[in-house]
Amino acid sequence: MRKAPIPDTVEDATRDLENRTLARLHGDFARLIYLASTRDYNSGRYEHDGLSFRYTKQVAEEALRAAHREVFVSLALSTLEQLVGQLEHYIRSGCAEPAELVASWNDSEAYRVLPPAQDDPLTVKLFLSNVKIALAIVGPSWREGRPNQDPQYASQLPPPGR
Amino acid sequence: MSETLILLAIGLLLFGLLTVLLRRTESTGDERFTQSYDGSLPALLRFEDRRKEILERIFGSEDWNFVLGHASREIRQLFLFERKQIALSWLSEIRSEARAAMHFHVSHAGKSKKLLPMLELKLAVDYLSIRLKCGLIALVLLLRGPVALRRMVGHASHLSDQLRGLLEVALQTDAVPEKTAVSQ
Repeated sequence: MRKAPIPDTVEDATRDLENRTLARLHGDFARLIYLASTRDYNSGRYEHDGLSFRYTKQVAEEALRAAHREVFVSLALSTLEQLVGQLEHYIRSGCAEPAELVASWNDSEAYRVLPPAQDDPLTVKLFLSNVKIALAIVGPSWREGRPNQDPQYASQLPPPGR
Repeated sequence: MSETLILLAIGLLLFGLLTVLLRRTESTGDERFTQSYDGSLPALLRFEDRRKEILERIFGSEDWNFVLGHASREIRQLFLFERKQIALSWLSEIRSEARAAMHFHVSHAGKSKKLLPMLELKLAVDYLSIRLKCGLIALVLLLRGPVALRRMVGHASHLSDQLRGLLEVALQTDAVPEKTAVSQ
């Protein structure tokens, strides 16, 4: 019985990454955070055990880099309203302590590590600026871990954990 | 008599020093510019496909309308401040790219034997026009804030295109150093 050939193109690896991993994450913000976390901040290289097992290290790294860039550009070029929606979705669905996350992101600006390296400086500036504004919009509604009853905007938010 | 000779010697020494310094500055500037164009194009050309969308985001009214309808006064001020900073940063990028391109072009065109006066004139006019528009946009931005620039998305986009044209001409002169190196 012949073994199936190991796919080794970046497109195959990208598809694999999208189907097996990224599809399970809800929203572009969660995907961006996940992809940024696969990067070694000392070397700038991307690492993913599952992908490296199935593909060559170089192909896996290129697939992760391409996916990171794609998700980042999609979020960076989205309208502020869409970005606020994505951020709310991430806070609501992927975080046990929303208030802590909002406070931590506001204080340490941890979101600064999210853009891929060597991307367009203007795009990166716009993204970081929009996240800062989005946090300012969303933040008050998560103070003390529960949504604020701001009649203008945050009243539409369901309670956390729902 | 001896005092005159000493002064003349000092003058010559200073002149020589100035010439060396100017040549060094010129070559460093060229190297910086050539390096930025060597292999990897400047951000403005590399990410040109998304430049229009970025400018629409920065200068367009969609995000401002959203902030107006959904955010407090403090957040509106934060939005205006942030957009102003990004717009100024973009203008600074345009200005510095244009300046570097012109510096590169002037330093190499001076050594070229195939100067095209009309092309040089057009470049000079384009460069001045870019500088003037940058100044105008910066002035509106500082005096009236980024919201006043809502109707200037087209101008901003045109400015970006104009700089691209200028850079493309500067890149064409990239071949000049090889020719001059041979002729020297």
